[in-house]
Amino acid sequence: MSAVLKWGAVMVVVAGCVGYLIYSASGGASEYYLTVSELRSHPVYDQDVRVAGVVQGDVLHPSTPAGFGPLTQFSEKDSTATIQVVYRGPLPDIFQPGLTVVAEGRLGADGVFRARQVLVKCPSRFSTTQYTS
Amino acid sequence: MILAYLGSGALLAALIMAGFAALLSFWAGWVENLVMIQVGRRAFYAAAALVVCASVVLEAGLLTHDFSLAYVANHTDLATPMPLVAAAFYGGQEGSLLYWTLVLGLLGSASLVASASLGPRLAAYAAAVLASIATFFLVVLVLVASPFDLLFVTPPDGLGLNPVLRDGGMLIHPPVVLAGFASFAIPFSFAAAALLANRADAGWIAHTRRYALVAWSLQSAGLLLGMWWAYHVLGWGGYWGWDPVENVALMPWLATTAYLHSSQVQERRGRLRAWNFGLVILAFLLVVFGTFIVRSGVVPSVHTFAISAIGPWFFAFLGMCLVFALVLLGLRAGGLKSAGRPAAAVSREGAFVLQNMLLIGAVAVVLWGTVLPLVSGLFGQERVVGESYYDRAAGPLFVLILGLMAAGPLLPWRRAGRTSLRALRWPLVAAAVMAAFMMVAGVRSLPALLAIPLALAAAVTCVVEFGRAIAKGRLAPIISRRRRYGAYLAHIGLVVVVVGVAASHFWQQEKDVTLTPGQQVSIGGYQLTYAGMEQRQLADHSELVAAMRFGDRTLEPARATYAGLGGQSLTHVAISTTATADVYVIFAGANSDGSASFRILVNPMVSWIWAGGIVIILGVVLGNVGQRRAAPVPVLTPAPLAAPS
Repeated sequence: MSAVLKWGAVMVVVAGCVGYLIYSASGGASEYYLTVSELRSHPVYDQDVRVAGVVQGDVLHPSTPAGFGPLTQFSEKDSTATIQVVYRGPLPDIFQPGLTVVAEGRLGADGVFRARQVLVKCPSRFSTTQYTS
Repeated sequence: MILAYLGSGALLAALIMAGFAALLSFWAGWVENLVMIQVGRRAFYAAAALVVCASVVLEAGLLTHDFSLAYVANHTDLATPMPLVAAAFYGGQEGSLLYWTLVLGLLGSASLVASASLGPRLAAYAAAVLASIATFFLVVLVLVASPFDLLFVTPPDGLGLNPVLRDGGMLIHPPVVLAGFASFAIPFSFAAAALLANRADAGWIAHTRRYALVAWSLQSAGLLLGMWWAYHVLGWGGYWGWDPVENVALMPWLATTAYLHSSQVQERRGRLRAWNFGLVILAFLLVVFGTFIVRSGVVPSVHTFAISAIGPWFFAFLGMCLVFALVLLGLRAGGLKSAGRPAAAVSREGAFVLQNMLLIGAVAVVLWGTVLPLVSGLFGQERVVGESYYDRAAGPLFVLILGLMAAGPLLPWRRAGRTSLRALRWPLVAAAVMAAFMMVAGVRSLPALLAIPLALAAAVTCVVEFGRAIAKGRLAPIISRRRRYGAYLAHIGLVVVVVGVAASHFWQQEKDVTLTPGQQVSIGGYQLTYAGMEQRQLADHSELVAAMRFGDRTLEPARATYAGLGGQSLTHVAISTTATADVYVIFAGANSDGSASFRILVNPMVSWIWAGGIVIILGVVLGNVGQRRAAPVPVLTPAPLAAPS
């Protein structure tokens, strides 16, 4: 068997294995990335999703029972729909009304989104307004 | 005002010089006109010098608070400390592109100075490709993202820097990462020039080896500094999140790691020629692709640059580079047949080839995870993958690579006989003992039982190699063959990093607690007592500081609030570091009843990651200082601008 054939065969085997790893891993581990209105119009209850929207002005920190992290309630909105989000844990530093956040978690049957994690789009500059020439 | 005209003028002149250098060098290389080749090269030096001028002007504008410049007003204010004002040079979109072009100009000039020895045609084409890349960046800087745009009205003060970026890490992480990205252009240019000139010998590899090493070292340092920053400053408890921004920095690093190994097969054995061209081109394409991803906002990421008009430009540039590379490789593929006899599968070459395939496999895994939102968005609902995807898809590949790190260095070139296979017994024994020890200690996780023993085996292999050399003739063989032993030192450093990553990945503990003063919490065998909190007023912000007693120390996690910046808050984590574990306390907030909430993590062996990183860089530097034809390799600073030759 020539060297080219031999190494070609090895390459095919490695590529096959990598392809299988990617296929099997992305099948179970991928989540839907939705906007608020997409989640509202096609609710997904049985699996984790990520939902992106703008934090509204109704951020609440209800008193926390001992033994748990701080609780935050807020609503997330895009151009047409709104969703209530509940999250327990430390919030990102720049979390505030008006910022786009991505909540990762699960939609409850009561229509409230229970987030496991809240990510904020980190701006390269602080202010949302900036000077333009 | 005058600075804006000076800066814009310098950039425009640099663009003209770079475009001229590109066209002239292509033509002069084609007709082998020695005088014009020299002129083309000098035009590139001139373009680089003009970019230096533009950079000096921008820095002057920043340091003198010239708020008539939009860039200065948008990224600094009067209250920003001076070192951070200076760092704003690369802190925003436009400035970072200028910084990139600056590094390209300086390193490119340095690489061209001695290039005449490669033959006039190859040298001319290398200058032409470098100048073309510089031309692209200058077009973007002049037309789309100029750092010298003027404001109609000069504001009394600027907007200032995001508090997250007000950190010492800002002074070192971004410039290292950006310089790493920029330096991949040099091996690419020489590889493309060798293909254009139809030269399949290893001359371009020898000439650009130090630049490939510079790019790799900068990228290694940049990745580690980014991890350090995320861990110490951003304060979410980890150091790696598989975010697209991290992924696009990792992919060219993986491809270049593959190249640094496979290029030895070509240098030593004259094989893998087409593969080496492919790897260098791939690394550069990944850099351009990554820049496009990060700067255009086409995939969801937690840290994107402010979305701007440069996305389509980088997309077009990526397309041009891809077509150029594919056409070039296609045209020259016939001439790249390997010289020399093929090697047996179980040999040094075999190990390198398999390692290369696994690394490229890892690139494919990371690439797929990065572009999945884009691809799935085209065919239906957008999907994203999380950490578990990378664990499951890339984890097995990394474990196999560790195995090769343990075996490869002990295998001889061409064919491994009985005696050389016998050398494998020490790493094998070490791995088996470690695995048994871990089983006894109660570890049942298969990934951990594979990763840590194999990492130990890889370290033992390097120690055996050092031991053999010392037995032969003390330090003399190590010094005279320092490139090899430097690489082993880098291997040992990587093993230390891997152990730190594996330990903190498999055995991290996390607890969310709400405590009243005097209350105690226990995590991972550590006892912490919450003592209380106090408000502190500092120059530009106030801090709510919690005191957490830990042994005889007091940890002070805090939340800072920047009143002047719309009340933005910033978490300061408190970390107690030892060799075995970090105790990591995040102050989540104060409650109305006087209690405070914390997230506490115990991250085992994270300090090994930083220590291993230093060993890696040390290995590369020690292995390459004073090498043949090489001036001391500038590893962490860009090479000085070369005088025109």
